[in-house]
Amino acid sequence: MALYLRQLCAQFRNIHVQTSSKLLKNVVDANAEKNERNEIVKKVNDLVANNAHGRLFAVVHLAGKQFKVTDGDVIIIEGYWPPDVGDKITLDKVMLAGSADFSLIGRPILEKGLVNVQATVIEKTMSHTKTHFRKKRRKQYMRTHFYRVPQTFLRINEVSIQDEVDNPKEVRGLETAVF
Amino acid sequence: MSHSNIFLKSGFINVPLKNGIGRYVGQLQRVVLKFCKNNGSSAGMREFIETELVNFAKSNPGVVVYVKPRRHKTAVIKAEYLNGDSQWLNCRNFTKEEIQKWLELLKRQQINHDGQRIRKLWHTDHPSIQGPWTPFTFRDPQLNLATFPDERLSKSDVIASTSQDELVEMFKKQKLKELQSAN
Repeated sequence: MALYLRQLCAQFRNIHVQTSSKLLKNVVDANAEKNERNEIVKKVNDLVANNAHGRLFAVVHLAGKQFKVTDGDVIIIEGYWPPDVGDKITLDKVMLAGSADFSLIGRPILEKGLVNVQATVIEKTMSHTKTHFRKKRRKQYMRTHFYRVPQTFLRINEVSIQDEVDNPKEVRGLETAVF
Repeated sequence: MSHSNIFLKSGFINVPLKNGIGRYVGQLQRVVLKFCKNNGSSAGMREFIETELVNFAKSNPGVVVYVKPRRHKTAVIKAEYLNGDSQWLNCRNFTKEEIQKWLELLKRQQINHDGQRIRKLWHTDHPSIQGPWTPFTFRDPQLNLATFPDERLSKSDVIASTSQDELVEMFKKQKLKELQSAN
Protein backbone atom coordinates (compact mmCIF):
# COMPACT_ATOMS: atom_id res chain seq x y z
CA MET A 1 0.00 0.00 0.00
CA ALA A 2 2.75 2.41 1.01
CA LEU A 3 4.66 1.40 -2.06
CA TYR A 4 1.63 2.03 -4.22
CA LEU A 5 1.16 5.51 -2.74
CA ARG A 6 4.80 6.27 -3.33
CA GLN A 7 4.54 5.09 -6.94
CA LEU A 8 1.50 7.30 -7.37
CA CYS A 9 3.42 10.27 -6.00
CA ALA A 10 6.28 9.52 -8.33
CA GLN A 11 3.91 9.42 -11.31
CA PHE A 12 2.46 12.79 -10.38
CA ARG A 13 5.94 14.18 -10.02
CA ASN A 14 6.83 12.95 -13.50
CA ILE A 15 3.67 14.40 -15.04
CA HIS A 16 4.41 17.70 -13.40
CA VAL A 17 7.96 17.74 -14.71
CA GLN A 18 6.87 16.84 -18.24
CA THR A 19 4.13 19.44 -18.48
CA SER A 20 6.26 22.20 -17.07
CA SER A 21 9.12 21.43 -19.43
CA LYS A 22 6.81 21.21 -22.45
CA LEU A 23 4.85 24.37 -21.75
CA LEU A 24 6.13 27.27 -19.74
CA LYS A 25 8.76 27.14 -17.11
CA ASN A 26 7.74 27.64 -13.44
CA VAL A 27 4.05 26.91 -14.05
CA VAL A 28 2.53 24.59 -11.43
CA ASP A 29 -0.69 22.74 -12.14
CA ALA A 30 -2.94 23.72 -9.23
CA ASN A 31 -5.27 20.78 -9.66
CA ALA A 32 -2.59 18.11 -9.77
CA GLU A 33 -1.56 18.72 -6.19
CA LYS A 34 -5.17 18.92 -5.02
CA ASN A 35 -6.13 15.71 -6.80
CA GLU A 36 -3.15 13.92 -5.38
CA ARG A 37 -4.06 15.05 -1.88
CA ASN A 38 -7.72 14.03 -2.25
CA GLU A 39 -6.66 10.65 -3.57
CA ILE A 40 -4.43 10.04 -0.56
CA VAL A 41 -7.09 11.18 1.92
CA LYS A 42 -9.62 8.91 0.22
CA LYS A 43 -7.27 5.96 0.48
CA VAL A 44 -6.70 6.60 4.19
CA ASN A 45 -10.43 6.91 4.78
CA ASP A 46 -11.04 3.64 2.90
CA LEU A 47 -8.45 1.91 5.06
CA VAL A 48 -10.12 3.26 8.21
CA ALA A 49 -13.63 2.36 7.02
CA ASN A 50 -12.59 -1.23 6.19
CA ASN A 51 -10.51 -1.49 9.35
CA ALA A 52 -7.59 -2.56 7.14
CA HIS A 53 -4.95 -0.25 8.59
CA GLY A 54 -3.47 -2.74 11.06
CA ARG A 55 -1.77 -1.63 14.25
CA LEU A 56 -1.96 2.07 15.02
CA PHE A 57 0.35 4.20 17.08
CA ALA A 58 -0.06 7.69 18.52
CA VAL A 59 2.13 10.34 20.04
CA VAL A 60 0.32 11.70 23.10
CA HIS A 61 1.19 14.70 25.20
CA LEU A 62 0.72 13.77 28.83
CA ALA A 63 1.78 15.63 31.99
CA GLY A 64 4.40 17.66 30.12
CA LYS A 65 5.96 14.75 28.30
CA GLN A 66 5.36 13.12 24.94
CA PHE A 67 4.97 9.36 24.60
CA LYS A 68 4.76 7.21 21.49
CA VAL A 69 2.18 4.59 22.37
CA THR A 70 0.40 1.66 20.79
CA ASP A 71 -1.98 -1.01 22.13
CA GLY A 72 -0.62 -2.80 25.19
CA ASP A 73 2.14 -0.32 26.05
CA VAL A 74 2.93 0.68 29.63
CA ILE A 75 4.09 4.23 30.33
CA ILE A 76 5.10 5.92 33.58
CA ILE A 77 4.05 9.44 34.48
CA GLU A 78 6.31 11.12 36.99
CA GLY A 79 5.20 13.69 39.52
CA TYR A 80 1.90 14.36 41.25
CA TRP A 81 -0.98 13.20 39.06
CA PRO A 82 -4.44 12.72 40.60
CA PRO A 83 -6.00 9.70 38.76
CA ASP A 84 -6.30 6.62 40.98
CA VAL A 85 -5.61 2.96 40.24
CA GLY A 86 -8.29 1.26 38.16
CA ASP A 87 -9.38 4.52 36.51
CA LYS A 88 -9.99 4.33 32.79
CA ILE A 89 -9.04 7.54 31.03
CA THR A 90 -8.97 8.95 27.51
CA LEU A 91 -5.82 10.72 26.39
CA ASP A 92 -7.01 13.73 24.40
CA LYS A 93 -3.83 15.53 23.39
CA VAL A 94 -2.91 13.37 20.41
CA MET A 95 -0.12 15.02 18.46
CA LEU A 96 0.35 12.36 15.82
CA ALA A 97 -1.27 9.08 14.86
CA GLY A 98 -0.26 6.58 12.26
CA SER A 99 -0.24 3.05 10.91
CA ALA A 100 2.25 1.26 8.69
CA ASP A 101 0.85 3.08 5.63
CA PHE A 102 -0.01 6.61 6.74
CA SER A 103 0.58 9.24 9.42
CA LEU A 104 -1.83 11.90 10.63
CA ILE A 105 0.07 14.90 11.91
CA GLY A 106 -1.54 17.44 14.25
CA ARG A 107 -0.85 21.15 14.20
CA PRO A 108 -0.02 20.90 17.09
CA ILE A 109 -2.69 18.36 18.09
CA LEU A 110 -5.20 16.41 16.06
CA GLU A 111 -8.80 17.54 16.26
CA LYS A 112 -10.61 16.12 19.24
CA GLY A 113 -12.60 12.97 18.55
CA LEU A 114 -10.54 11.89 15.54
CA VAL A 115 -8.22 9.52 17.37
CA ASN A 116 -9.23 7.66 20.51
CA VAL A 117 -6.50 6.66 22.97
CA GLN A 118 -7.80 4.73 25.99
CA ALA A 119 -5.69 3.95 29.03
CA THR A 120 -6.03 2.34 32.47
CA VAL A 121 -4.15 3.43 35.58
CA ILE A 122 -2.61 0.23 36.94
CA GLU A 123 -0.20 1.36 39.59
CA LYS A 124 0.74 4.34 41.74
CA THR A 125 4.05 4.09 43.47
CA MET A 126 7.25 6.00 44.23
CA SER A 127 10.56 5.96 42.39
CA HIS A 128 13.79 4.78 44.05
CA THR A 129 15.34 7.22 46.52
CA LYS A 130 17.24 9.87 44.60
CA THR A 131 20.00 11.96 46.11
CA HIS A 132 20.27 15.69 45.67
CA PHE A 133 23.71 16.78 46.77
CA ARG A 134 24.85 20.42 46.81
CA LYS A 135 28.29 21.73 47.65
CA LYS A 136 29.98 25.11 47.40
CA ARG A 137 33.71 25.03 47.32
CA ARG A 138 35.67 26.83 50.06
CA LYS A 139 32.41 27.98 51.71
CA GLN A 140 31.84 25.19 54.24
CA TYR A 141 28.51 24.51 52.56
CA MET A 142 27.21 21.02 51.93
CA ARG A 143 23.59 19.77 51.78
CA THR A 144 22.27 16.33 51.02
CA HIS A 145 18.60 15.83 50.30
CA PHE A 146 16.84 12.58 49.57
CA TYR A 147 13.63 12.48 47.62
CA ARG A 148 11.31 10.09 45.83
CA VAL A 149 9.13 11.00 42.85
CA PRO A 150 5.52 9.76 42.64
CA GLN A 151 5.06 7.50 39.64
CA THR A 152 1.85 6.45 37.89
CA PHE A 153 1.83 3.42 35.59
CA LEU A 154 -0.56 3.62 32.66
CA ARG A 155 -1.59 0.73 30.43
CA ILE A 156 -2.62 1.81 26.93
CA ASN A 157 -5.71 -0.21 26.05
CA GLU A 158 -6.66 1.10 22.67
CA VAL A 159 -5.51 3.40 19.89
CA SER A 160 -8.18 3.79 17.21
CA ILE A 161 -9.40 6.23 14.60
CA GLN A 162 -12.98 7.23 15.32
CA ASP A 163 -13.78 9.78 12.66
CA GLU A 164 -13.22 10.56 8.99
CA VAL A 165 -9.81 11.98 8.20
CA ASP A 166 -9.74 15.53 6.82
CA ASN A 167 -13.42 16.09 7.42
CA PRO A 168 -13.63 18.29 10.52
CA LYS A 169 -16.97 19.01 12.11
CA GLU A 170 -17.56 22.66 11.41
CA VAL A 171 -20.09 23.23 14.15
CA ARG A 172 -19.45 21.50 17.40
CA GLY A 173 -21.94 20.63 20.08
CA LEU A 174 -21.37 20.48 23.79
CA GLU A 175 -19.60 17.11 23.64
CA THR A 176 -16.23 18.81 23.34
CA ALA A 177 -16.82 21.52 25.94
CA VAL A 178 -15.03 21.29 29.25
CA PHE A 179 -17.01 22.20 32.35
CA MET B 1 25.46 14.87 42.65
CA SER B 2 25.81 11.58 44.34
CA HIS B 3 25.86 8.48 42.20
CA SER B 4 24.85 5.98 44.86
CA ASN B 5 21.86 5.21 42.62
CA ILE B 6 24.05 3.31 40.20
CA PHE B 7 24.68 0.64 42.80
CA LEU B 8 20.94 -0.06 42.91
CA LYS B 9 19.70 -3.01 40.94
CA SER B 10 18.21 -1.61 37.75
CA GLY B 11 15.46 -2.98 35.61
CA PHE B 12 12.68 -2.23 33.20
CA ILE B 13 8.94 -1.89 33.68
CA ASN B 14 7.57 -5.19 34.90
CA VAL B 15 3.81 -5.50 35.14
CA PRO B 16 2.70 -8.83 36.62
CA LEU B 17 -0.03 -10.91 35.00
CA LYS B 18 -0.57 -8.43 32.14
CA ASN B 19 -2.62 -6.32 34.52
CA GLY B 20 -4.87 -3.71 32.94
CA ILE B 21 -5.18 -5.30 29.51
CA GLY B 22 -8.64 -6.67 30.26
CA ARG B 23 -9.43 -5.06 33.59
CA TYR B 24 -7.47 -3.80 36.56
CA VAL B 25 -6.90 -6.27 39.41
CA GLY B 26 -5.55 -4.98 42.72
CA GLN B 27 -2.30 -6.83 43.36
CA LEU B 28 -2.07 -6.49 47.14
CA GLN B 29 -3.12 -9.85 48.53
CA ARG B 30 -2.45 -9.70 52.24
CA VAL B 31 -1.22 -7.16 54.75
CA VAL B 32 -0.01 -7.94 58.30
CA LEU B 33 0.21 -5.19 60.91
CA LYS B 34 2.61 -6.21 63.68
CA PHE B 35 2.80 -4.13 66.87
CA CYS B 36 3.38 -4.12 70.63
CA LYS B 37 0.50 -3.49 73.04
CA ASN B 38 2.63 -1.59 75.55
CA ASN B 39 5.53 0.14 73.86
CA GLY B 40 5.30 3.80 72.87
CA SER B 41 6.89 3.20 69.48
CA SER B 42 3.71 1.32 68.46
CA ALA B 43 1.35 4.04 69.72
CA GLY B 44 0.51 5.30 66.25
CA MET B 45 -0.08 1.79 64.98
CA ARG B 46 -2.41 1.05 67.89
CA GLU B 47 -4.34 4.24 67.21
CA PHE B 48 -4.60 3.34 63.55
CA ILE B 49 -5.92 -0.12 64.41
CA GLU B 50 -8.49 1.35 66.80
CA THR B 51 -9.82 4.05 64.47
CA GLU B 52 -9.04 3.40 60.79
CA LEU B 53 -8.35 -0.28 60.23
CA VAL B 54 -11.98 -1.39 59.94
CA ASN B 55 -12.66 1.32 57.36
CA PHE B 56 -9.58 0.27 55.41
CA ALA B 57 -10.60 -3.38 55.43
CA LYS B 58 -14.16 -2.54 54.41
CA SER B 59 -13.15 -0.30 51.54
CA ASN B 60 -10.65 -2.90 50.25
CA PRO B 61 -12.49 -6.23 50.18
CA GLY B 62 -9.75 -7.74 48.01
CA VAL B 63 -7.11 -7.34 50.71
CA VAL B 64 -6.78 -9.72 53.68
CA VAL B 65 -5.80 -7.78 56.81
CA TYR B 66 -4.08 -9.49 59.72
CA VAL B 67 -3.23 -7.86 63.06
CA LYS B 68 -0.44 -9.48 65.05
CA PRO B 69 0.46 -8.21 68.54
CA ARG B 70 3.87 -9.20 69.86
CA ARG B 71 5.61 -8.05 73.00
CA HIS B 72 8.48 -5.55 72.99
CA LYS B 73 8.94 -5.36 69.24
CA THR B 74 8.81 -2.44 66.82
CA ALA B 75 5.66 -1.90 64.75
CA VAL B 76 5.95 -3.35 61.25
CA ILE B 77 3.81 -3.63 58.13
CA LYS B 78 4.28 -6.61 55.89
CA ALA B 79 2.56 -6.59 52.50
CA GLU B 80 2.25 -9.63 50.25
CA TYR B 81 1.44 -9.41 46.56
CA LEU B 82 -0.26 -11.75 44.11
CA ASN B 83 2.97 -12.51 42.26
CA GLY B 84 4.66 -13.72 45.47
CA ASP B 85 6.55 -10.52 46.29
CA SER B 86 6.44 -9.24 49.85
CA GLN B 87 7.47 -5.88 51.26
CA TRP B 88 8.48 -5.26 54.85
CA LEU B 89 8.17 -1.75 56.29
CA ASN B 90 9.51 -0.57 59.62
CA CYS B 91 6.89 1.66 61.33
CA ARG B 92 8.77 2.63 64.49
CA ASN B 93 7.28 5.82 66.01
CA PHE B 94 5.00 6.32 63.01
CA THR B 95 1.86 8.37 63.55
CA LYS B 96 -1.59 7.20 62.52
CA GLU B 97 -1.50 9.38 59.40
CA GLU B 98 1.90 8.09 58.33
CA ILE B 99 0.75 4.49 58.66
CA GLN B 100 -2.34 5.29 56.62
CA LYS B 101 -0.24 6.90 53.91
CA TRP B 102 2.17 3.96 53.64
CA LEU B 103 -0.69 1.47 53.64
CA GLU B 104 -2.32 3.35 50.74
CA LEU B 105 0.99 3.24 48.86
CA LEU B 106 1.38 -0.50 49.44
CA LYS B 107 -2.19 -1.01 48.25
CA ARG B 108 -1.59 0.86 44.97
CA GLN B 109 1.65 -0.96 44.17
CA GLN B 110 1.80 -4.12 42.12
CA ILE B 111 5.14 -5.54 43.21
CA ASN B 112 7.88 -4.69 45.66
CA HIS B 113 9.85 -1.92 43.97
CA ASP B 114 12.31 -1.57 46.85
CA GLY B 115 15.95 -1.32 45.82
CA GLN B 116 15.18 -1.17 42.13
CA ARG B 117 15.79 1.66 39.70
CA ILE B 118 13.60 1.78 36.61
CA ARG B 119 15.66 2.58 33.53
CA LYS B 120 12.91 3.57 31.14
CA LEU B 121 9.50 5.21 31.52
CA TRP B 122 8.10 3.29 28.57
CA HIS B 123 7.56 -0.37 27.78
CA THR B 124 6.31 -1.65 24.44
CA ASP B 125 6.14 -4.97 22.62
CA HIS B 126 5.95 -3.18 19.25
CA PRO B 127 8.82 -0.70 19.11
CA SER B 128 8.34 0.23 15.46
CA ILE B 129 5.18 0.21 13.38
CA GLN B 130 6.28 2.00 10.22
CA GLY B 131 9.66 0.25 10.28
CA PRO B 132 13.06 1.74 10.99
CA TRP B 133 14.31 4.52 8.75
CA THR B 134 16.73 3.52 6.00
CA PRO B 135 18.50 5.67 3.39
CA PHE B 136 15.89 4.45 0.86
CA THR B 137 12.87 5.54 2.92
CA PHE B 138 10.74 8.09 1.03
CA ARG B 139 13.01 7.89 -2.02
CA ASP B 140 11.77 7.85 -5.61
CA PRO B 141 10.76 4.22 -6.34
CA GLN B 142 12.09 4.66 -9.87
CA LEU B 143 15.49 4.01 -8.36
CA ASN B 144 14.41 0.36 -8.11
CA LEU B 145 14.15 0.14 -11.90
CA ALA B 146 17.48 1.76 -12.67
CA THR B 147 20.09 -0.41 -14.42
CA PHE B 148 23.68 0.14 -13.50
CA PRO B 149 26.03 1.55 -14.64
CA ASP B 150 23.75 4.58 -14.93
CA GLU B 151 25.35 7.74 -16.22
CA ARG B 152 23.02 10.13 -14.37
CA LEU B 153 23.13 8.31 -11.03
CA SER B 154 26.86 7.71 -11.17
CA LYS B 155 27.54 11.40 -11.67
CA SER B 156 29.11 13.22 -8.77
CA ASP B 157 26.90 15.56 -6.77
CA VAL B 158 29.78 18.02 -6.57
CA ILE B 159 29.19 20.52 -9.37
CA ALA B 160 32.36 22.56 -8.80
CA SER B 161 35.10 21.76 -11.34
CA THR B 162 38.25 20.01 -10.24
CA SER B 163 41.67 21.62 -10.31
CA GLN B 164 42.56 19.32 -13.19
CA ASP B 165 39.60 20.67 -15.19
CA GLU B 166 40.68 24.20 -14.44
CA LEU B 167 44.21 23.47 -15.59
CA VAL B 168 42.88 22.02 -18.83
CA GLU B 169 40.71 25.13 -19.34
CA MET B 170 43.70 27.42 -18.69
CA PHE B 171 45.78 25.43 -21.17
CA LYS B 172 43.06 25.68 -23.81
CA LYS B 173 42.77 29.44 -23.31
CA GLN B 174 46.53 29.78 -23.57
CA LYS B 175 46.54 27.82 -26.81
CA LEU B 176 43.73 29.98 -28.23
CA LYS B 177 45.64 33.13 -27.35
CA GLU B 178 48.73 31.76 -28.99
CA LEU B 179 46.76 30.93 -32.13
CA GLN B 180 45.14 34.37 -32.19
CA SER B 181 48.51 36.15 -31.71
CA ALA B 182 50.01 33.97 -34.47
CA ASN B 183 47.25 35.03 -36.85
